[in-house]
Amino acid sequence: MSLNKNIYLLFSTLFTLSLVTAQESPIEPKDSIITENLDEVVVTATRTVRQLSSLPLPVTLIPKEQINRSGVTRLNEILNEQTGIVMTPDATIGGGEGVQIQGIASDYVMILIDGVPVVGRSSGNLDLSRFAIGNIKQIEVVKGPSSSLFGSEALGGVINIITEKPNTDNISGQISHRAATFNNQNSTINLNQRRGDLGYSLFVDRLSTDGFDLTPNSEGQTVNPFFNYTLNGRIYFKISDQLKAFASGRYFLQDFDIPSGTSEERDGNIHLRLDHDVSKKSSFEYEFYYTNYVTNEQTVDPINDEILLDNDFNQKLFRPEVRFNHNFSSDNTLTVGAGYNLENLERSLFAEDITFNSQYVYAQYDFKPLEKLNIIAGARFDNHSEYNSQLSPKLSARYDLSPYWSVKGSVGSGFKAPDFRQLYLDLTNASGGGYSVFGKEVEAAGIQRLQENDEVANLAVDPNDLGERLDAESSVGINLGVGFKKGKLRSDVNFFRNDFTNLIDTRILAAKTNGQNVFGYINRESVYTQGLEVDLQYKFFENLDLSAGYQLLYAFDKDKEDAIENGDVFARDQQTLETIRLDRSNYFGLENRSRHTLNFKAFYEVPEWGANANLRVVYRSRFGLTDRNGNDVLDELDNSFVDGYALVNLSFGKTFFEHYQLQLGANNLLDFQGSNPLASQDNEQLINPGIQLFARLNIQF
Amino acid sequence: MKTTLKLFSLFTLLFAFVACSKDNEGTVPEFTVTAISAESATVGTEITITGTNFPEASDINLTFGGVAATVSSATSTQIVTTVPNGASSGAVTVTANGITREVTPSFSVLANLVNATVENLEAPQTGGQGQPIGGPFTKFSFETGEVTDSETDWDIAFRGTTIAVNGGTVTGTNDEPARNGNAGAAIASGLFTDVATADGLTFEVDADGAFAIPTGSQEGWYNYNPATFTVTPIPGRVLVFRTHDGKYAKVEILSYYRDAPAEPDAFTDESRVFTFNYVYNPNDGETSLNAN
Repeated sequence: MSLNKNIYLLFSTLFTLSLVTAQESPIEPKDSIITENLDEVVVTATRTVRQLSSLPLPVTLIPKEQINRSGVTRLNEILNEQTGIVMTPDATIGGGEGVQIQGIASDYVMILIDGVPVVGRSSGNLDLSRFAIGNIKQIEVVKGPSSSLFGSEALGGVINIITEKPNTDNISGQISHRAATFNNQNSTINLNQRRGDLGYSLFVDRLSTDGFDLTPNSEGQTVNPFFNYTLNGRIYFKISDQLKAFASGRYFLQDFDIPSGTSEERDGNIHLRLDHDVSKKSSFEYEFYYTNYVTNEQTVDPINDEILLDNDFNQKLFRPEVRFNHNFSSDNTLTVGAGYNLENLERSLFAEDITFNSQYVYAQYDFKPLEKLNIIAGARFDNHSEYNSQLSPKLSARYDLSPYWSVKGSVGSGFKAPDFRQLYLDLTNASGGGYSVFGKEVEAAGIQRLQENDEVANLAVDPNDLGERLDAESSVGINLGVGFKKGKLRSDVNFFRNDFTNLIDTRILAAKTNGQNVFGYINRESVYTQGLEVDLQYKFFENLDLSAGYQLLYAFDKDKEDAIENGDVFARDQQTLETIRLDRSNYFGLENRSRHTLNFKAFYEVPEWGANANLRVVYRSRFGLTDRNGNDVLDELDNSFVDGYALVNLSFGKTFFEHYQLQLGANNLLDFQGSNPLASQDNEQLINPGIQLFARLNIQF
Repeated sequence: MKTTLKLFSLFTLLFAFVACSKDNEGTVPEFTVTAISAESATVGTEITITGTNFPEASDINLTFGGVAATVSSATSTQIVTTVPNGASSGAVTVTANGITREVTPSFSVLANLVNATVENLEAPQTGGQGQPIGGPFTKFSFETGEVTDSETDWDIAFRGTTIAVNGGTVTGTNDEPARNGNAGAAIASGLFTDVATADGLTFEVDADGAFAIPTGSQEGWYNYNPATFTVTPIPGRVLVFRTHDGKYAKVEILSYYRDAPAEPDAFTDESRVFTFNYVYNPNDGETSLNAN
């Protein structure tokens, strides 16, 4: 028994050691490019530790070093500088920002912290400025459908924020403060310590700002003053050599100072994990995750204190999951997982509290049938209380043609269930003119209620069709790429195509007697995004890293392409206002998509001075915001285009007395402000608030 | 012998020539007319007359009710012309080689289609934004091309974004005019000129609780953009009306704002002010909607 135990222990230790070794020593140590750290490993692509450069999937890794040197503190700021990732303003600019990957909207991109999803979206957008990035090890972005591992809605990709683990006996960490334009004050304390079997991390972040205004001629601010706090505590405990425990708690509080009323946002989560190595080849992970996202919004009439809008939102997700890994050999890993989702939403615009539950299982087999060929095959099965069960398969492969050249490809599918809003919204917007919106599950009852009140002028749909189930939105994504790396140069070219069907769109259910409409939801659109991504990294000389990225994107609605082909789409001549027929060349494509996006980054370091400097340029070409001429198609005659623009970011850093770093910089150095085409004639509206200078002092210990 | 042969040949040729010319002159075939492409048409309409043995275009004289018409082309079996300016109803005649034939005794020249633009027709309403909508409709007559106060001689009427027709029954909204005509409406799709006829369209009339032109964004003639708060006419929607007295007209609404700005601003441009193009066919029973 004792002997067995010892052998067991020995093997586990060996296994752990081999893992650690695998992580720390690059497989090809002669590689000297460090720009984006070739020897880095990622966990998001496979749920196992894998070397970045060996993966068959398109993965972007943003190391801590790049974040620190850039001097940015929020997730949205650093993502916007990556190839093929665009932070898009919504149609009315200044509202929520969404992340777009390969032209796919943020509804279909999952945001994870240490592998567990965050919730709390408004109209599908997750506000990424909510996430402070002062305590992270790296950010991993997997492009294309990753639904098979992380959840059904990851049709466009996954962004995983990996936090830092404590690894020093003494307390280490940093205290920093960053002050920037608009009275933006960001203080951060990050502490890490590891003593024997116990390690902990503590992170506190406070941000406050006066906000900014994009509409100088009108009353009120675009972004009101606000403050927020992020607290994160994590504990790592080695119970035995086979059993490790991890516990994390995160709390975020944000409060907007709005002229009349309140707007508050709270986001908390608890994440517990037990890693159990049952043998040197097999391990279990048991995970419990609970998250709760709450917003309270109230607008009161400044004169008589009457409540004009009261919008409360309270979303909870509970997710236990078990994963099992088995290494048949070092290149041959089976991953199996099963879990349960319990989601609950209370929202003042919903008729009742809504609870969804779903069960899922997934499996993935990562193997090398040939020395130079790596194949990852996986599938996920979701069983949901509100819609049909779904299977999401995925297959990817990589073949090393030579030490320098490799080809990789992946095909995957995924689906996204109708969200709470599309199923249960029961909204009559009094301040917006009195239109109504009903989710699928409540539309029949809603129409009946309106009819009983004599509010319906005429029905636009067959009453028997009301309440007919919505199908899940689904997609198939294909990525095909070629990689080249030799000496100081690394380059990747990736072609992608994503086909979406059954996208949920709004439709008119009825006209109301007040002249407004009743809207409902329907599966209608099928769209595609396709294009090409190019990444180049070159180490010019020892201390200068250059990188450039480009994305070419075509994103269109197939039904609209057909309608234009058939001559069924019209617009108005801007002079005579008479109808003209659109042809294919007039169709710009989906809203908020730029045909070309470019980035260029140069990081330079002078070690003998303890100094560094960097220049980052991000460009996006012309894009359209919305249809304005009533044909439901974004065309060249819509006066809603934002001209292409570049943002230039610059920062300098210097270390004093070993522990003190001072950083100075400017974001949007050229002071680009732009102009919003949707602004009314005498009311200038900007796209960007302009140059933002910052200074940051960091004490590292 | 040679001389004899030459002389003979000459005489033969001469005889042949003379005989030939004599023969031709004596057998000019009389032309006939068999059909005309239309018994009624507006000025400028292309008309084809078919028959036999028509001479060259320059030898033909045509009249419509006594007014000369130009022959645009002619073959021995077909003459193409257009109804001349100033033509009046009556006989159509063809004259050639001193012979006059009547193609039809009673060709009717139709009244010209009216192709016009109505600018800044005001269609105010009261209420809205959740309050009950009211106020009188602004009535319009295609026959006069103007706004009218007549209780009976109106075809369509505007209030806010709502368009009523003088046909069917009242819908039940406040302050609406009584329906006492035979008007109706159909929504066609295409360029304004694509909609060439009212034939084959199904005309709806106003009914209890529903207008012939459905109300609401994207339903009838307009789109409401909640981001810019603007009402814009849906491109490619052509409204075809049957008038209160059974004639036909088509309408393309160009703007809902005063002076039809290209980019209306919901905050500064006055709304509920219509500008529209229309084509009206004033002829009874005629469905054509494209002027020549």
